[in-house]
Amino acid sequence: MPLRAKSAVLSALLLAVLLGIWHLATLPKGGPAQAVDPEYAKLMGLDKPKSDGLPTLAQLGGTIAKQLADPFYDAGSNDKGIGTQVAYSLGRVALGFVLAALVALPLGFAIGLSPLVHGALDPFIQVLKPISPLAWMPLALYTIKDSAVSSIFVIFICSVWPMLINTAHGVASVRRDWLNVARTLEAGTARTAFQVILPAAAPTILTGMRISMGIAWLVIVAAEMLVGNLGIGYFVWNEWNNLSLANVIFAILVIGVVGMVLDFLFGLAQRAVAWVE
Amino acid sequence: MSLFDNPFDAGSRLACSCGRHASAAEHDAAAPDAEALSGQALQTAVMRALFPRDAERRRFLRAVGANTAMAAIASVFPLGALEAMAQEKGKVEKKALKVGFIPITCATPLIMSAPLGFYEKQGLDVTLVKTAGWALIRDKVMNKEYDASHLLAPMPLAISLGVGSGAMPMNVATIQNSNGQAITLAMKHKDNRDPRKWKGMKFAVPFEFSMHNFLLRYYVAEHGLAPDRDIQLRVVPPPEMVANLRAGNIDGYLGPDPFNQRAVYDQVGFIHLLTKELWDGHPCCSFGVRSEWVKENPNTFAALYRAVLNAAAMAASPGNRSTIANAIAPANYLNQPVPVLEQVLTGKYADGLGNVKNDPDRIGFDPVPWNALGVWILTQMKRWGYLKGDVKYKDIVDQVYLMTDAKKRMKEEGILAPADMPKKIVVMGKAFDAAKPDAYVAGFAIKRA
Amino acid sequence: MSAPFLQVRGLTRRFAPGATPVFEGVGFSIERGEFVCVIGHSGCGKTTILNILAGLDAASAGEVVMDGREVSGPSLDRGVVFQGHALMPWLTVRGNIAFAVKSRWPDWPRARVDAHCQKYIDLVRLAGNEGKKPSELSGGMKQRVGIARAFAIQPKMLLLDEPFGALDALTRGAIQEELTAICAETRQTVFMITHDVDEAILLADKIMLMTNGPRARIAEVVVNTLPRSRTRHDVHHHPHYYRIRNHLVDFLVHRSRLLQEGRGEEAANEEGPRTVMPGLAGDDEAPAPRPALLVQVK
Repeated sequence: MPLRAKSAVLSALLLAVLLGIWHLATLPKGGPAQAVDPEYAKLMGLDKPKSDGLPTLAQLGGTIAKQLADPFYDAGSNDKGIGTQVAYSLGRVALGFVLAALVALPLGFAIGLSPLVHGALDPFIQVLKPISPLAWMPLALYTIKDSAVSSIFVIFICSVWPMLINTAHGVASVRRDWLNVARTLEAGTARTAFQVILPAAAPTILTGMRISMGIAWLVIVAAEMLVGNLGIGYFVWNEWNNLSLANVIFAILVIGVVGMVLDFLFGLAQRAVAWVE
Repeated sequence: MSLFDNPFDAGSRLACSCGRHASAAEHDAAAPDAEALSGQALQTAVMRALFPRDAERRRFLRAVGANTAMAAIASVFPLGALEAMAQEKGKVEKKALKVGFIPITCATPLIMSAPLGFYEKQGLDVTLVKTAGWALIRDKVMNKEYDASHLLAPMPLAISLGVGSGAMPMNVATIQNSNGQAITLAMKHKDNRDPRKWKGMKFAVPFEFSMHNFLLRYYVAEHGLAPDRDIQLRVVPPPEMVANLRAGNIDGYLGPDPFNQRAVYDQVGFIHLLTKELWDGHPCCSFGVRSEWVKENPNTFAALYRAVLNAAAMAASPGNRSTIANAIAPANYLNQPVPVLEQVLTGKYADGLGNVKNDPDRIGFDPVPWNALGVWILTQMKRWGYLKGDVKYKDIVDQVYLMTDAKKRMKEEGILAPADMPKKIVVMGKAFDAAKPDAYVAGFAIKRA
Repeated sequence: MSAPFLQVRGLTRRFAPGATPVFEGVGFSIERGEFVCVIGHSGCGKTTILNILAGLDAASAGEVVMDGREVSGPSLDRGVVFQGHALMPWLTVRGNIAFAVKSRWPDWPRARVDAHCQKYIDLVRLAGNEGKKPSELSGGMKQRVGIARAFAIQPKMLLLDEPFGALDALTRGAIQEELTAICAETRQTVFMITHDVDEAILLADKIMLMTNGPRARIAEVVVNTLPRSRTRHDVHHHPHYYRIRNHLVDFLVHRSRLLQEGRGEEAANEEGPRTVMPGLAGDDEAPAPRPALLVQVK
């Protein structure tokens, strides 16, 4: 059996074990039916089966099927389908990410090309980089005075550093030879930047972007739990408030899958710009 | 049509047959002087502006009573709105409104106005935005993201004073509800009902500037515990209270419904007491707007006010409570099981200890922002150190709960002064005299130095 | 008498102000169509001289005049073949050459650029590999692309920095012959650095010998008296071959060091090094047979 098939079987086995444990853990407990006042029982919702604690696999499956059956339903401004929620989150991430790229790429170029700029900006970068993006939230809300823009700002601030640092590093490590080739060919500044430095540094830059995207996707969920009205983070918060763990688990799975797809796409992009010497 | 009808008479038609009065008896009985008549003329205009259709107006008056309605209108309308309404029903300046809310039953009038069409009827297109917590509500109101919002009753005072945030003049349009809160304890405390033994326990309140915080502090202090020293108080957004109680992060909370009943429903906690038992008729949440917004959008404000008053009137009637529970239960609003909301709104509820209780006054919807309520809130802010130095209780409340400007002008126009509150303020057996706030604060043994 | 095509005078390079110069007072000239090789030990500044000629580096003192103009920066007039081929790995063979062609003639339409590239790809016998990335090419093929790129811009002068240093002997031989053929065809002026005396004898019209650094200088210019049409198969049969070879090896093994220490011989004058023709020396005597060992100095 080839290695891939073996790992696939092992993965499936692992999944089966996990689901098995889940199933056993959520089996309805056949506790002694207490003799209670039927009226009280009705008020407590005990007369009908209700979800309590972790959902069983069947309940979870039902929730997933229901959510996926109509991912774009619209039952009012605070209740929309999972597809719409993910779209909102992705929209915020995309906006913050693109803004970050617009800042990080040119600035990273400047830092990578000029030791002077590098020396001047490095202390700021070193101090600002380790700050948790969510720590910016109150400041953002206070100064920007708009929660939607604030969450986009938080995405921006968390995506900017890996991109900036990798761009600077990639640009600074472009082989001297290639720059010399460009110089002897009298290629202008723009041509050198876009046709020599950019493709040379592209794999490093894309690695930075991939890291940024990973962080941005982590952060948007947290940011939306804080401020969001609509978005996958808001969905988690809303369902957690309703103590609907089936929906929360469903959302967690969606977050994981979307994150994986994003990472996969950046992997493809990375492969597209990769070069081997 | 007469300008001299009593507009607050539920039985009267504004377009009466005789052209002057509803009935001959009234015609004879009423011999008002000129001044009072001109006052009544303005009131009629106000009532007509608020409720252009007779049927609606009568339903409203029957529901809340003439005095209440009169007081409500007299106490809250800023001059701009009043003038706008004195003319024909004005065109709204802004049709699409964003209104923030926290998913709790206190916000019932404000929420139900959407599914039950009260906003639409006033020509408004209101988007209700569910919000994660009170701090965020405050920020979004101050950032002008929301046109109006569900606020805790003390918040407009705190924001106007700049306590806990930047200062921004706010107005309370209506009080959303009275009562409707409870102290919920984790199941493990079911035999620990004596507050004197609560030393070291962790409690959650929804916000610093909340009735919840002030009532819980009041309650434990009455039992000899200093809230800042003997117990731990934490701010937890209402929707997260049950989850925190389940996780064991807190021992209990004084929180808004439906989260008390939800804790019972999920067998996580029990209702120790309803806040009604501490102070029957206490306010909880309010419907607030920025003063500037009211000046800019007087007709919109009037329309919004009408919608919420109508909703409050409907909610005040016990017969409607089941319908309302169904209207506000979906995920778009409270995202709660209907049985939980029904128990909160009808007052027939399971207490979590195996008993069915029946208390129709568990929550009430009295829209009038009585001045004394504001003063009581300020005394507690002073008591617990949120306000320093001399507090001009009356002036502050006049600015926020009543608009001095409007009141003065109304007096000039000879409009009746607001009637007294239907119930005196009595908190845990102690009467409160709004005229002597300093003495009240001084009378507490436990307070912050 | 007209001025030489390239005139270098008093070239000195210090890497820090006040430091001992790597080389000092270097002067030489190259005629149009001439193929000149420089031989010297590592560290004598050969590459630095080439970089100054290319305009990539600036001299601390001295001047370089090419075709009546002072060299003050990189120019399309001088094509450079770099030591490590310096191909851009994200571009194909054609892409690398096209980058150069488009630099030279930015207004050319795509078809013309392609046709021009193809001509030089064919010239270095890489037809069929146009679409390959450098990583898919052997070392020799990569260097051929580098050469094609330098030739494609039709420079007035070609600068080659040890282009075949990293290649195996067989490949090197093949490309050396191609290079001779192309140069003969295009009448290209070439300045080339090498470590390999056999390569120098095979390719060069003049061989400049550099003393060891620091304070390196050009000690001698050896005129290659072998006839120009030579191949690696027959070059060593010519009577001049071993005389020149022995002269070069002797210089590298002994004299380069002695000269640096200032012993044994007169220093070169300002106008440039003296010119010698060891191939003609002792024409009457029988050449001293020596094993044809390959001398490479690293």
